[in-house]
Amino acid sequence: MLQFSSNRGHLSALLAVGVVLLFCLPIVLGLVGTVIPAFGLMPALSEGNGFVQLVNDPRFAPSLWLTLKTGVAASLLVLLVTIVALVCLHQTRWWRWLLTAMPPLLAIPHAAMAVGLVFLFAPSGWIVRLFSPWLTGWERPPSDWVVPDAGGWSLVAGLVMKEAPFLLLAAAAQLPSLDVDASLRIGRTLGYSPARCWSRLVLPRLYPRIRLTLFVILAFNLSVVDMALILGPGNPPTLAVLLLSYVNEPGARAVASAGALLLAVGMALFFIVVIGVERIVAGLAAIRRTSGNRGHGFGFFRQIGQHFVILLCSLSVLTLASLLVWSITQRWRFPSALPDNFTSRHWLGRADLLLSPLWSTILFAAFSCIATLVAAIIWLEAERLGRFKKIDWLWYVPLFIPQITLLFGWQAASLLLSADGLWLTVAYAHWVYTLPYVILIMAVAWRELDPNWSNAAALLGAGYWRVLFRIRLPLLIKPVLQAMAVAVAVSVAQYLPTALLGAGRHNTLAIEVVTSFGGVDRRIIATLAVLQSLLPLLVFSMALAVPAVLQRRRSIA
Amino acid sequence: MMDALRVDKLTITLPNGIILCEQLSFTIEPGRVLALMGPSGSGKSTILSWITGTLPKAIQASGEIWLGETSLLGVQTEKRRLGLMLQQDYLFPHMSVEQNLKFGLKAGSKAERTAIVHSSLESAGLAGLQHANPATLSGGQRSRVSLLRSLLSEPSALLLDEPFARLDAQRREQIRQFTWEACSQLPVLLVTHDSEDVPDHADVLELADNHAG
Repeated sequence: MLQFSSNRGHLSALLAVGVVLLFCLPIVLGLVGTVIPAFGLMPALSEGNGFVQLVNDPRFAPSLWLTLKTGVAASLLVLLVTIVALVCLHQTRWWRWLLTAMPPLLAIPHAAMAVGLVFLFAPSGWIVRLFSPWLTGWERPPSDWVVPDAGGWSLVAGLVMKEAPFLLLAAAAQLPSLDVDASLRIGRTLGYSPARCWSRLVLPRLYPRIRLTLFVILAFNLSVVDMALILGPGNPPTLAVLLLSYVNEPGARAVASAGALLLAVGMALFFIVVIGVERIVAGLAAIRRTSGNRGHGFGFFRQIGQHFVILLCSLSVLTLASLLVWSITQRWRFPSALPDNFTSRHWLGRADLLLSPLWSTILFAAFSCIATLVAAIIWLEAERLGRFKKIDWLWYVPLFIPQITLLFGWQAASLLLSADGLWLTVAYAHWVYTLPYVILIMAVAWRELDPNWSNAAALLGAGYWRVLFRIRLPLLIKPVLQAMAVAVAVSVAQYLPTALLGAGRHNTLAIEVVTSFGGVDRRIIATLAVLQSLLPLLVFSMALAVPAVLQRRRSIA
Repeated sequence: MMDALRVDKLTITLPNGIILCEQLSFTIEPGRVLALMGPSGSGKSTILSWITGTLPKAIQASGEIWLGETSLLGVQTEKRRLGLMLQQDYLFPHMSVEQNLKFGLKAGSKAERTAIVHSSLESAGLAGLQHANPATLSGGQRSRVSLLRSLLSEPSALLLDEPFARLDAQRREQIRQFTWEACSQLPVLLVTHDSEDVPDHADVLELADNHAG
């Protein structure tokens, strides 16, 4: 490893400690700021024991049940879709296509996806229009069909379509290190069907590696707010939405904090239950693994699985398409399959509605992107120089705690510090939620880069900064750009931090899409949602294109 | 009685148009070893992939393959009854030695299967290692377990892809000996670039390097 001056090593360590402190401070503040009011210990904000008030609210129990039902069902379905995609599409011509389609789908913000789903599946949505009246006989939108439904299944569908690409990409990234192709080949020559090879040889080794991602998804599904506001039922709403309504009521801070705390504790308990279930399943699987039963290679089921995953992807693409079509629609009577007239009026004539949130979104995204990148490089460099050991678990912490739990605390703290509504307060929250993704994406490549590249440059006389900027960063351009694209996507999608800490002063596209939903012209909402989706898609495209262009330039040179 | 493994008029063309082999035919009788030799890139492993039915779809191949009187063309990999041993042993790291061997063994009573595993371990000089984690075994021990696992699945032919390449010189001869004794009843196709690996009684088929470039 390169030797650096002691001063530079100290500076690196100091900066890295600063990053960790900046990251941990809001987590601690958030928890403290939620716990204290929950027990009525902060009379300045709210009085009374929040837990008693919460349990006495008749909406609490059905709301909790709905949250558990939708969160757990969505997470299980995300896992199922991922497994089906792996078993049925891996080593087929669809696999590469699927991996190419996943990042753009992942980049679509939750709120935009939710709006698109409503436009697709509502009684007057595109799906119904495509089949009416020639198949359904409907000349008017059906009245017995409600989206969002009272059971929360629309929300489950939205969560599955949004989170399945996340888990699938996490799983796909692990496959090369598991020698999956060779394992499948050996398993099949030993007489096992492909599905059995997956269940007995690959999944037992893959699951531990995607488990944290699955837990992040579970935590998100149990506490999601923006999607639940659009796709979830209204009475009762999910627990996170109910708590959000409390925090907007004067004097209800205690009950809101108590609920947020309960959600976090409940989630922790739920993780323990999941770990218990995992152990039981692993024990049963270990017994079955060596039974010698080969299973049958049902190509038919594999085909069904392939069609199912492709249909799900197509629906996601159709969701985006429906937003796009609505954003250029002038008039679209039911049951026409396509608009009667198109117009660019919503794009060109409504700058008053679009430009301000767009600019606000871009500023937060740019700050998050740059600030997280700098922080990630500081940490990973300190780690590489041997100043600190890996602490990947720490970066997961804000992703495991329900956003609402931390944000109620931050809001309380920022109110006390008179920092609520400040641009920097909101930007700080975006940074905290973006940094884990950026560090975790960059860490693998950063740690694996052969140190001999840096050593060779140093032996040629290059100093630390020259090695960093001329050797390491150019060699790592692909993961760095991917991390930057993810940073933009995460920041653009942030609804709750902006809503709670922004005090209504920072209307980003996420805020506009959610708050406009149901109250504003469908075509304007579609335009806002397309704009919100375009930003991360644009950055993702650049993250893919730039390394390719650089590569081509180098080969020409 | 085992059947012969027969490949007839095999032609393999890579996506870039390079022909790896053209009209290649051979027959391996039970108890015989055919060594497929040639430098890296000559297509040895690709031929093996075609035989096992795991050739990527982008690679074009034509020809016929028979196990006795049964054509294996279009038969799924798992139904071809071909044992495969690769350069890397691929002992599954989440299973013990015994579990790896039981994975190869056909279904049956638990006691009977355990007895078979123990006796095969003993015959391979690996007695007492049934509960060992594969990661704790030496290269030679791992190779023997891998071969046993293939043989316990009762294949009708055995395909070996550079199976001794990762072993040190001292163990290599020992494992070669063990392999040829253990496979004495089967038709064996050995892919190697090292003539030392080829047993005395084997037939040799040299693949030229001129196609792959």
